[in-house]
Amino acid sequence: MESNPGTTETRSNLTASDGGQVTAFESLQFTDEIHRLILAPTTINASSFTALVELPPPQAVELLHSPDSTKFIAAKPPNVEDFKGSFRFPSNTSLIEPDARFSVFSGEANNGNENRDSPVSKILNSNLEKAVKSEPAETESAQPLVSDPPVEKRRIKRKGRENKVKGSTKKSKTAVNESSEDAEKLPYVHVRARRGQATDSHSLAERARREKINARMKFLQELVPGCNKISGTALVLDEIINHVQSLQRQVEFLSMRLAAVNPRIDFNLDSVFTSESGSLMDSNFPGLVMPVMWPEVQGDGHRQQYQHQWNSDALQQPVWGREVHNNYITPEKSLLTYDSSANSVTLQANQLKMEL
Amino acid sequence: MRPHSSLKQEFLKKWIMGLQRCSFSKKNMSILERKKAIKFSADIAMASARNGTTCWSRSLISNASKEGSDIHVVEQILGSESDRPAVENKVPTRRASVCKKIVKRSCRIRRRRRRRKCVASAPSSIAKHLVRKRREVLKSLIPGGEFMNEICLIEETLDYITSLRVQVDVMRSLASASVRASE
Repeated sequence: MESNPGTTETRSNLTASDGGQVTAFESLQFTDEIHRLILAPTTINASSFTALVELPPPQAVELLHSPDSTKFIAAKPPNVEDFKGSFRFPSNTSLIEPDARFSVFSGEANNGNENRDSPVSKILNSNLEKAVKSEPAETESAQPLVSDPPVEKRRIKRKGRENKVKGSTKKSKTAVNESSEDAEKLPYVHVRARRGQATDSHSLAERARREKINARMKFLQELVPGCNKISGTALVLDEIINHVQSLQRQVEFLSMRLAAVNPRIDFNLDSVFTSESGSLMDSNFPGLVMPVMWPEVQGDGHRQQYQHQWNSDALQQPVWGREVHNNYITPEKSLLTYDSSANSVTLQANQLKMEL
Repeated sequence: MRPHSSLKQEFLKKWIMGLQRCSFSKKNMSILERKKAIKFSADIAMASARNGTTCWSRSLISNASKEGSDIHVVEQILGSESDRPAVENKVPTRRASVCKKIVKRSCRIRRRRRRRKCVASAPSSIAKHLVRKRREVLKSLIPGGEFMNEICLIEETLDYITSLRVQVDVMRSLASASVRASE
């Protein structure tokens, strides 16, 4: 298995969030894991995905704890001030903008509401749009924004958690951010639409959803070996399905193997661990392992034989590879992992010892 | 070297506990029974290592708890009785209603699709069709996958893959070690 860091421990934060629990998808631990996961194989460019990975989580954590979205402002303070100053006329300011992007501000055209924090939190990249051409498009789309009661229309319901997604397109970048506010419970989604795209709430929500799914698909692609080169969701999903099926089959096969090896299913772990570590490391741990593991009857006579068994690993490996080849897709990979798994057993044993 | 080694250790501990419990109950088991017991306790150990944070682990444990025969294994692995109700109580309240709605909706959609049976000509719809098919397959693979929306499904897949890998690693090392030990 390649350098897949332990996202497992932090998954507890990650995966429960859609169940309505407010655990942070962007927990800090998760950030570290994902950093290692993503930034190691891929180069850090200005692509949105790594930006997503780097920037939102720590800020989102802050956001969760103190819903002051001013902390979240990353790149362009002058835009923020512009918007703050003229918060009654968002369409005008968006026209003035050099990037010529259309920004949707929910609740900003509401004159009297001063309790709201500045909802601006855009992570803008330096992509210059063609300002001239987009202005007419913006004027058209800006009008409905102003004319609607924007508060109610632009309120896009959060799906239960804070979420920042960045879409990466060649032309432009869209940033969808949610900021929590003190006065109101409902967050607002601030979206920068690409030019020529519809900006009603349905398509915005749809786009946000799609960005979320794409971001997660990228994670999956990193995780499953061999998916990086494949483009296209269907093929990637194919690979993922194959991978899951092969892992499940491996579990079946290994449990059958374990059942065949032992006449009883409580394993001879004490002597097993001595065999592993006796040749390499100290052998203090059996005493420690004993209270936890089931003391085995048959173990004692075999201990002397274990030392030279360790050297016959090389013989074991081709046997393992051949056995395994029927069920596995990548036999060479299994050989490699066999080698490392043998080491991992010793590591495991020693770590168990430390723990106990 | 192994970043998720603590998860492995946890899994190994729980698995051993479950196996001991299994061997308490039945003395002479055929090979298939043993295999089933091994796999069962491994699955439960893996699911309990998540502590009820992920959907697939919850559904795995609830499925296992339904069969009355091995419930004591589940109890032992999960620890005291107090742990399990805390986990299960989270599930029915919110998710049950959501799940029912989703299932009903998907049944309705499937019925509508069967009635239409038209072949989509546009390439985008063909692509969507393919993706949808694969998503359904993925849902059938992941325990408890039928009740998830797409975003949740992908996250659960990620988690499930990592825990399966942990399981495979531990089982493989144990198998190799015990093979070597028995020779």
